[in-house]
Amino acid sequence: MKNFKKWTGIGLALALALTGSLAGCGNKAAVVDKENPAKGTESKEIFRTLDEIKEDGTINIGVFSDKNPFGYVDENGDYKGYDVYFADRLAEDLGVKVNYVSTEAANRIEYLQTGKVDMILANFTVTDERREEVDFASPYMNVALGVVSRNDNVVKSLDELGADDKIIVISGTTAETWLTRNYPDILLQKFDSYATAKEAFENGTGIAWANDNTEVIAFSLQNDGYTVGIPSLGSNDTIAPAVTKGNTTLLEWINEDMEKLGKEQFFRKDYEETLAGTYGDEYKDTLVVEGVQQ
Amino acid sequence: MPEHTVMNTKTPLWSKACSSKKQERGAAVDFTYIENVLPLYRRAAVLTVRLGMEGIFLAVITGLFCALVLYEKIPILRQIVTVYIEVSRNTPLLVQLFFIYYGLPKTGLALTPEVCGVAGLAFLGGGYMAEAFRSGLEGVENIQRESAYSLGMSRAQTMRYIVLPQAVSTSIPAFVANVIFLLKETSVFSAISLMDLMFTAKDLIGLYYKTTESLALLVVFYLMILLPVSIAGAVLERKVRYAGFGT
Repeated sequence: MKNFKKWTGIGLALALALTGSLAGCGNKAAVVDKENPAKGTESKEIFRTLDEIKEDGTINIGVFSDKNPFGYVDENGDYKGYDVYFADRLAEDLGVKVNYVSTEAANRIEYLQTGKVDMILANFTVTDERREEVDFASPYMNVALGVVSRNDNVVKSLDELGADDKIIVISGTTAETWLTRNYPDILLQKFDSYATAKEAFENGTGIAWANDNTEVIAFSLQNDGYTVGIPSLGSNDTIAPAVTKGNTTLLEWINEDMEKLGKEQFFRKDYEETLAGTYGDEYKDTLVVEGVQQ
Repeated sequence: MPEHTVMNTKTPLWSKACSSKKQERGAAVDFTYIENVLPLYRRAAVLTVRLGMEGIFLAVITGLFCALVLYEKIPILRQIVTVYIEVSRNTPLLVQLFFIYYGLPKTGLALTPEVCGVAGLAFLGGGYMAEAFRSGLEGVENIQRESAYSLGMSRAQTMRYIVLPQAVSTSIPAFVANVIFLLKETSVFSAISLMDLMFTAKDLIGLYYKTTESLALLVVFYLMILLPVSIAGAVLERKVRYAGFGT
């Protein structure tokens, strides 16, 4: 019995210690006013300001590594895609080197909140909920949701799904959030990365795959046998760079730079370089957002 | 109802989870949120334990079989078992699961995520269990078997009454360690879209951004599963510590 008590004691102490330390990690440490450090407490902010990034000479940008043609790693091991083309330019304008950090959809907010990256450029859709957690800069792309299915059983409406039909979604995407909220009865099969969802869908899992319409259109164009039965679903949203909440120096700089980029029609060029190969010229005007202030 | 649909609860979790007023950054823990997601965690815990137990059960059978094959030095089978043990112990579970879930359908064998999870766990665990039991069997000194034979006991009797009782008791600590190890390994099930504890926590963070609460719940639930196993294991180890013959 004595041993029992000892064990339970150790267990409880461990549980408390672990929970405590984890809670510490998750805490969005109090944001301190950089200009007036006297106002702040001893706690340090998690993000790096514009000056700190410049001083360091390297900016950490979170991008996708498996989402062709937006953010992916090519056969030479280099990051490529619409988001990456933009990220390269931002780093160039800032005069720093760029360190790409591969991210998954569900990690994007955490990466910013824990300071793992300075900026997320991973096809990040602007939503009100996310706006409470991170700061978005000006938009650079339009997006809605879309549903792709196999040619032999095209899903044209979410209301015609059978009770056992499963829809594939990626954890942490707007498609998951939107379906969870608006169609709580649809069975979702969730995957933790774009690559695994794609693989499973190609293996015959699920009746359809819901994701950003840009991605499902790209998927149906790149792979034979698939049709985008629902090309536009949910609200029309935009995609924008995101920084850690409160990192105003970096945010303002990005917005200024994007204004400049808008004047030189940078994103149309970006589209031609990275997306035209997949989409043709057809979607240029619907996809690209240029020089619009947040 | 399949477990990977846990998010589709009849109650509109969305509105409930977000109903609590947005609090100050870094402010207190959101208990409304914890209350609302508890059923999801409970379901995930049940799935974790169920698949874990099924996998461990199969792993024990596989392991026992392999250990006996090695101990009795059965030709051909012994070589196959040796290869199996090395492969299963020296590849990560994640890789095994990817192979089973994403690779096998290419050869025409499509299994459900649950079957894949159990199969992966059994495959990995079988190798570890085999080693645990083998060390137990080999721990029984040869002289005991020789003595048994000289007393006229048959091979089967010797195994049943002399070797196995001692082997089982000496392999209990390794067995318990393996059980805990395998239960923890279920945390990579998210890779094959199984809504286990780990994936549920990650998914909820992606949906509601309540990182602190979700991770704290994750730790608490894993402890609730694993602490009793550890304690039961420690008790079991003491209860069967009668095998110390000759030491």
